[in-house]
Amino acid sequence: MYRGDNKWDFMSACRRVAIGSAAVVLVCLIAILARGLNLGIEFEGGSVWEIPAKASVELETIENAALNAGLTDSRVQKITGGEDIFRVRAGSTSIEKENSIVSTLATAASVDAESISTRAVSASFGDQVAGKARRALAVFLVLISLYLTLRFEWRMALGALVALFHDLAITVGVYAIFQIEVTPATVVAFLTIMGYSLYDTIVVFDRASENKKSLSAKSRITYRNLANVSLNQVIMRSINTTITSVLPVVSLLVVGSLIMGATSLQEFAIALLVGLVAGAYSSLFVAMPIVTVLKEREPHWVAMQEAADIRGTEDTSSEAAALLAAGQYKRNVSPRPRKIGKKR
Amino acid sequence: MSASAFVAVLSAGWAPVLGVQLQGGVEVVLRPANEVSEEQFERAIEIIRNRVDAIGVAEPDITRQGNQVVIQLPGVKDKQRAVDLVGQTAALEFRPVAGIYPAETNPADLGLSSESLALLTDIDSDSLTELTLSDIITDSNGDEDTVDSEVLFTDKAGAYVYFLNASELTGDAVENAAATFEGQWIVNVEFNDEGAAGFDRMASAYFGQQVAIALDGVVESSPTINAQEFGGTAVISGSFTEQEAKDLALVLRFGALPVEFEQDDVRTVSATLGDGTLRAGVIAGIVGLGLVALYMLFYYKLLGLVAVCSLAISGSILWSIIAWLGERQGLALTLAGATGIIVSIGVQVDSNIVYYERIKEEVRRGRAVRTAAEKTFSGAFSTIVWADLASLISAAVLYQLTTGTVRGFALYLGIATLIDIAVSYFFMRPLVVVIARKLVGEKPKRIGMSHIDAEVTQ
Repeated sequence: MYRGDNKWDFMSACRRVAIGSAAVVLVCLIAILARGLNLGIEFEGGSVWEIPAKASVELETIENAALNAGLTDSRVQKITGGEDIFRVRAGSTSIEKENSIVSTLATAASVDAESISTRAVSASFGDQVAGKARRALAVFLVLISLYLTLRFEWRMALGALVALFHDLAITVGVYAIFQIEVTPATVVAFLTIMGYSLYDTIVVFDRASENKKSLSAKSRITYRNLANVSLNQVIMRSINTTITSVLPVVSLLVVGSLIMGATSLQEFAIALLVGLVAGAYSSLFVAMPIVTVLKEREPHWVAMQEAADIRGTEDTSSEAAALLAAGQYKRNVSPRPRKIGKKR
Repeated sequence: MSASAFVAVLSAGWAPVLGVQLQGGVEVVLRPANEVSEEQFERAIEIIRNRVDAIGVAEPDITRQGNQVVIQLPGVKDKQRAVDLVGQTAALEFRPVAGIYPAETNPADLGLSSESLALLTDIDSDSLTELTLSDIITDSNGDEDTVDSEVLFTDKAGAYVYFLNASELTGDAVENAAATFEGQWIVNVEFNDEGAAGFDRMASAYFGQQVAIALDGVVESSPTINAQEFGGTAVISGSFTEQEAKDLALVLRFGALPVEFEQDDVRTVSATLGDGTLRAGVIAGIVGLGLVALYMLFYYKLLGLVAVCSLAISGSILWSIIAWLGERQGLALTLAGATGIIVSIGVQVDSNIVYYERIKEEVRRGRAVRTAAEKTFSGAFSTIVWADLASLISAAVLYQLTTGTVRGFALYLGIATLIDIAVSYFFMRPLVVVIARKLVGEKPKRIGMSHIDAEVTQ
């Protein structure tokens, strides 16, 4: 693999893998429907106070203080890692009460009122944020489908969209299963994942369509093998890209959140980590196989498949690769051809 | 070129302006409670801007996003007061003038009893003798509790302090106001029925005296009442310039109730929390970059070096742009924006990987590293552009259709993606070609390929 001349049969493998993928997506969808998402105050409205936690102050003290301040429906958490904080979340409160709540909490936690961070979101705003995100998502999907159809073809657009759905279902599913709070930051991460997944998929498709162009009319190769060769050509790139994309995110998660204790960074990092891995996987094992299945129904590729069946020996990937390489260089066997075929 | 831009930005002393989440401060999102006209909305934003200027925030960022106003006050000290200030409805009041004094007058010279003074200001009466009037002006932004009491308001320039009686009329009384030129610039004021009666009542009580028109605790104008009955219209004349007359008309028209805002999202971030987040983000970014650099150097050897240089170049361009946006456009770097940048590290490195994998593929087929580097670029670059285009589409959609967090992210993702395309074309390719020619020669090992690779395929 390190040498990069691997000849894996992705297309055969993906049948088995597909069942696993489908099962995981199903579990995630059930989790989303059954457990729902733990939405942050940005979507539901409400207030949050974040108070530096001194070691001597008990969680109960803060809970009582919240009750004294008139917060009957509050939920108090202690968030550890780096600098510990108490996080008090409650429904909407009036602006007038804000000052007295902050000072009550500050006294209970024996900290300065200025060191408390607060946030209050109106419920109507939350609806608006969610509505905007949904609309942006819809427009995004339509534009991307158009773009992929124009650049490649509708089959590839469909493959890319299924892969996108797969990645998103898994990432959102993780949030539903572990009940991690969903904030606008998380939504940003979800969108990033879609971007990455798409980017990965485009790199694969680009290679497949480039390979197809390099074929001469007489080349006898099935689409299945063309796809296999293309995937083998881009797999090292996929692995390396995923590693280099995951490294900063892991560092954000480990250094940023666990050691330094910045919880707002965690929101991004978990979604990104899950989504990046899912995205790299889906462009290889979901997007391309779907395109292959669709393409194999085209008359040209049906004929190719029949021809291969008649020959009896099923094309192996290495033969296909050789064919492709030959096609690309106009069957010029010289290691340094003078003339290069036009490439895109 | 990018290096010179970077040096220029550094030498100009520009640094990225940090948003509220990264340095602490106040962030408020306001939305009009009712339908408002475009003019009213703009005027309301103008008033908020003036209020923010009054509390002295270093880098206020007040932008309109669709039907919302997003106010970022990074580093503001008295957070609760700032929140109160920007959210309140502007108050336009008509108050009879009891006295006008230079701002540096000592409160004792007003000849008021200490009880009356205590009503005017929160400051302990013992220390009043050391202060001037400008120190003790009444803190009023339409608070209900100051409407019926005497107040000390300043004029616009801050040169004089007005001692004013209780409010006689509010801006609700005004139906319309317009500046016209009739030999000189004047302001015609039209009152509604209720307002007309109230104004006449005030005019007869204070005939021949001055009445202050105060907006948000600042005296905009203090005309003298020269009639006892106005019958619903009044003319304010003075030596107005055109601009002054138009401003006053605007104040009268919209000053009272330009827009009633609802506070959609109010957030205060303590300086320590913001600081912690910033430090964590920076350290995580540096560690992440270091790991990526090590991996690239280990896997691609000399080519990895090009990737590291590309990242450095992109980083310096990005720094310049962020600093420029901060200095010139007042755009602060938010937490979401910073994440967009960390994410773009991946995109940038990927462009390198796409190219290098193609070079290796060609070398495996028996081509020399040098020619492979030259021949494969066009194919690799087209992949990079097509994939980046998808990122740009998503960034553009998100930027257009969302607000707040997501928008900040989209902006920096878009910028970083454009930089990626430019750096790939103008920097990565020439450097790879030069390195392939000068340093690699016929030794694929130097780009992270074992000898066997090349021999097997030849």
